[in-house]
Amino acid sequence: MRSDLATDDQGRLLIDVRGPRFGAAITATLLAIALVVQGPLGVGLVAWQWLMFAIATLAGLAWSPYGNLFRALKRRFDLGPPPATELEAAPRFAQACGLAVATVALVAFAAGAATVGWIAVAVVLALSVLLATTGLCVGCELYLVGQRLRQGRRRADEPA
Amino acid sequence: MDPVLLRLLLVVAGVALVTLLGLALRRRDGRIVASATPESDGGASGGGADTADDAPRLDASHLDAVGLDTDGAAAGAVLLGSPTCAPCDAVKAILSDLAQEREAFRWVYADAADHLDLAREHRVLRVPTLFVVDAEGRILGRTSGVPRPDDLRQLLDGRDVDLAA
Repeated sequence: MRSDLATDDQGRLLIDVRGPRFGAAITATLLAIALVVQGPLGVGLVAWQWLMFAIATLAGLAWSPYGNLFRALKRRFDLGPPPATELEAAPRFAQACGLAVATVALVAFAAGAATVGWIAVAVVLALSVLLATTGLCVGCELYLVGQRLRQGRRRADEPA
Repeated sequence: MDPVLLRLLLVVAGVALVTLLGLALRRRDGRIVASATPESDGGASGGGADTADDAPRLDASHLDAVGLDTDGAAAGAVLLGSPTCAPCDAVKAILSDLAQEREAFRWVYADAADHLDLAREHRVLRVPTLFVVDAEGRILGRTSGVPRPDDLRQLLDGRDVDLAA
């Protein structure tokens, strides 16, 4: 864990709630361009975005390239303190969802099923646009639902 | 038509559509869904109760489980959240402001994962979900997302939950 970032009392990373929206705006822009131009450049952009999702998912949001770009811009342009902070778990899960669908797209391109690949890219694009323009994070909501189900099952497994 | 131009139009239309959909969803967020009308007293039931007895309610067992004690209170609220939910903190702040304004208002926070039976019975799909109940546990209204404080005040104003408790 990088020491210059905010954490809660249990040492878990806290992020500025504006960060994921900023990242989603970049993701949406790149994927929109990819979807329009397609071809090798389009697939290249999807591969780049896959790498961004992979870093954020596996290494954590402290290492997310878009997140760090946001931190740099925040310092450079003095955007002020975060309006609120949140734990990284839910947005990191959302990045994992993006990674999963982007993987489907790349596998489809490799297998020659370009149409399937572009449909998968359109799904990621739609969810990024939703987060960037309205702040609704579908992946984050899925994380909360999944967590509740998992905890419920664990509790049900315990002897009464 | 040039396929690149066609795709450009499709992408622009799709982005606009998703944005409109998101704005519509966000407008619904935090809106209070009232489930009982305090004005219905003296109606067909004719009893002293000012809310129909068949109004949806949080069972006493559920209220016990989340730790809401409405003894001597005019209304209470149960906020279901989760540890990783940022908007839940915003709702908590609103509720503690309300509790300072109104002595006869109590509220509790509970982790939705600890109260799955309540969540299932009342079809709680998201956190934060807030239930505002009267002293008998009848649900006056519920919200998902962050409610506007004035909407909550209006809901409580119908319940004599004022400073003169």
